[in-house]
Amino acid sequence: MPTLTPDIVPGLIATGASARLDEDVAPKFSIGDAVEMKNINPVTHTRLPRYVRGKKGIVERDHGVFAFPDTGAHGLGHKAQHVYSVKFSFRELWGEDHAENMYLYIDMFDDYMRPAP
Amino acid sequence: MPHDHPHPHNKPLSDVELRVKALESILTEKELIDPEAIDLIVETYETKIGPRNGARVVAKAWSDPAYKERLLSDTTAAISELGFSGVQGEDMVVVENTEDVHNIVVCTLCSCYPWPTLGLPPVWYKAAPYRAKVVKDPRGVLDEFGVSLPEETEIRVWDSNAELRYLVLPKRPDGTDGMSEEQLAEIVTRDAMIGTDVLAAH
Repeated sequence: MPTLTPDIVPGLIATGASARLDEDVAPKFSIGDAVEMKNINPVTHTRLPRYVRGKKGIVERDHGVFAFPDTGAHGLGHKAQHVYSVKFSFRELWGEDHAENMYLYIDMFDDYMRPAP
Repeated sequence: MPHDHPHPHNKPLSDVELRVKALESILTEKELIDPEAIDLIVETYETKIGPRNGARVVAKAWSDPAYKERLLSDTTAAISELGFSGVQGEDMVVVENTEDVHNIVVCTLCSCYPWPTLGLPPVWYKAAPYRAKVVKDPRGVLDEFGVSLPEETEIRVWDSNAELRYLVLPKRPDGTDGMSEEQLAEIVTRDAMIGTDVLAAH
């Protein structure tokens, strides 16, 4: 009997599988904090794109606790941690010649960030 | 396989087609999948789940202020009220376009997209040119889509690289005051809910 059969498809599609974890993990950052993305270059799975590495932003929203894909993708456990919406100006990301009223928001895990110096 | 499909039969299969067939064979032989389950998934996203779902969410938000408030504050639950939930919509965020702010969604790392409300992503959304350019030159991308916004409009680009999925709540166009929720749903485009379209006045 195959694992994925037609009878379970509707239920799977309608339910999905949230990466949100019901674990009590303290956030390392608060809304309004100035943060700097770590300049790391893992050769393994990561959700930290190169274009924000080393860049400074502001924590806009705390989405709650999620499984950490960087470890989960390699069978190394959930490493439950907070995910935040972090706001970057285009000037910070791409240079001073960009308009002032342009922003990039990206969801960052605790492990990707440190307090901005 | 029935022969009512238009592709020429004298062409060899593409690399991607071959790879997909090979994967399906292996997964079937290892008894991980029943190929009929895959057909059912494809059929579901081809015929049942698509951007008309998202359009209903938008139309309701435009018509019902209390719903809009729930949609912005408790998004996943509010979308699920209309029956749209599940794979790739487990944790939703709605961002609202206003007079002053325009939002655009991308996934720079792959092709993350809110399936229950928008269906499967269009090819351009998954393609490197859109993903690379929109985070750096969103006005240039909008221009390619025939959209021009005033310089004063703040642009917010949302990179859905993690586990949250984003839906843009477009600005309700002028001249739609008399429209019913059903009529409003008709005028909402898929691209407006990604942020690469602005709905024209009626």
